[in-house]
Amino acid sequence: MKFSSHPALDALAAEYVIGTLRGPARRRFERAIAAEPLVATRVTYWQSRMNLKPAGAGAVQPSASVWKRIERDLNLRSLAPPWYARVSLWRNWALAASAALVFVFATQWLRLSDPKSDPNAQLASIAILAGDDAAVRGTTVSALISKDGKRLALRSERAIVAGALRSYELWLLPEGGGAPISLAVLGSLDAEFTVPSQQVGRIARGAKLAVSVEPAGGSKTGAPTGPVILVGAVS
Amino acid sequence: MLDDIEVKRLILRTAAQDAEAFSLLYQRTSPTLMGVAMRITRRREMAEEVLHDAFVKVWNQAKSFDPLALQPVAWLTAIVRNRALDLVSSAEATRVESFDRHDDDENGNALERLLDWSDQSDAGESLDQSRAEHSLRDCLQELKPAERQAIALAYHHGMSHSELAEHLKKPIGTVKSWVRRGLDALRTCMDTCAGLAR
Repeated sequence: MKFSSHPALDALAAEYVIGTLRGPARRRFERAIAAEPLVATRVTYWQSRMNLKPAGAGAVQPSASVWKRIERDLNLRSLAPPWYARVSLWRNWALAASAALVFVFATQWLRLSDPKSDPNAQLASIAILAGDDAAVRGTTVSALISKDGKRLALRSERAIVAGALRSYELWLLPEGGGAPISLAVLGSLDAEFTVPSQQVGRIARGAKLAVSVEPAGGSKTGAPTGPVILVGAVS
Repeated sequence: MLDDIEVKRLILRTAAQDAEAFSLLYQRTSPTLMGVAMRITRRREMAEEVLHDAFVKVWNQAKSFDPLALQPVAWLTAIVRNRALDLVSSAEATRVESFDRHDDDENGNALERLLDWSDQSDAGESLDQSRAEHSLRDCLQELKPAERQAIALAYHHGMSHSELAEHLKKPIGTVKSWVRRGLDALRTCMDTCAGLAR
């Protein structure tokens, strides 16, 4: 029988919606909802009228096993995109990476701008170099070394820059008078550089530091070849 | 209170087989819908069965959800109610004594609960929706008390005709005619209200 032409169609739709239509009659009516548009229209009418939204007060938390069963029965995990295709994953990764980068830059910048933050980077004066050469007369150049002995710096009161085709070379004159050891080739006497690893720890009391004028790029022989313009004892 | 706009969005994404949206939809709505199922089934295990079956159906039928015809929460509620009613029909005998313990008195507490069920000040609610709810409220008040109570118990607690007869201690023919006459009066009233409102 067609429910569309049933004289009590509206009453049946109403009883279906409030739930008093039961058993085989309910199932027949459900099939009619799917098959007959007029029946579906009357059901929608009653559903939209009898629509009292459930309030939060009557809520009951279902146990976790319910969702696990739904997930398993619908095989939802297989539908989840592979990890490398998840937009949220990459977005989170990008955010984390950016934050890390900012952190690294910020800490590096703080370290560079504030030497006190790294005790090894603090330089302490170990020698005052002086000489009579016209280039340096009347001025002093101080030598400073880092706590771990790996960084050395020269600071001059005024700019002393090597002339054309010339370089300055800084030498370590070991205690007891061995051959001078080259520490650095410099364009100016205001510079900071890394101490050659074999000489770390040897720039100590008793040794001397000296600066000679050499051809551009430094002495070709491994020993001072030009005039020594500055010398000072390490204290 | 559930936000219809968010629930609608999640249902539409579920229709596109978006498992993440479906999981969110479950998280948002399952406690409320579990409450609906509990009031009808009166048993936790059965209500969880209902919830499981209903969400399997939501996943499979989200494509047929028509946001113009029904509010999204009403759509979900209808699926849960249908499944709950299916399950309780086959277990009616075991339900009767649990109703007797229920504290609805004969003079229409069930109606108060039915009306309390709905929160009027819902931000996500459309004008049509609140108009429908108001006319339902007003029209339920117009009914004869016995008719009103029978409809409220049937809707809210999923009572069948025979359960109503037992609960209200009246012959089944009497409660059947209360329900039918009540619904008839309700439709006449709501059509009139809707006509007046427009």
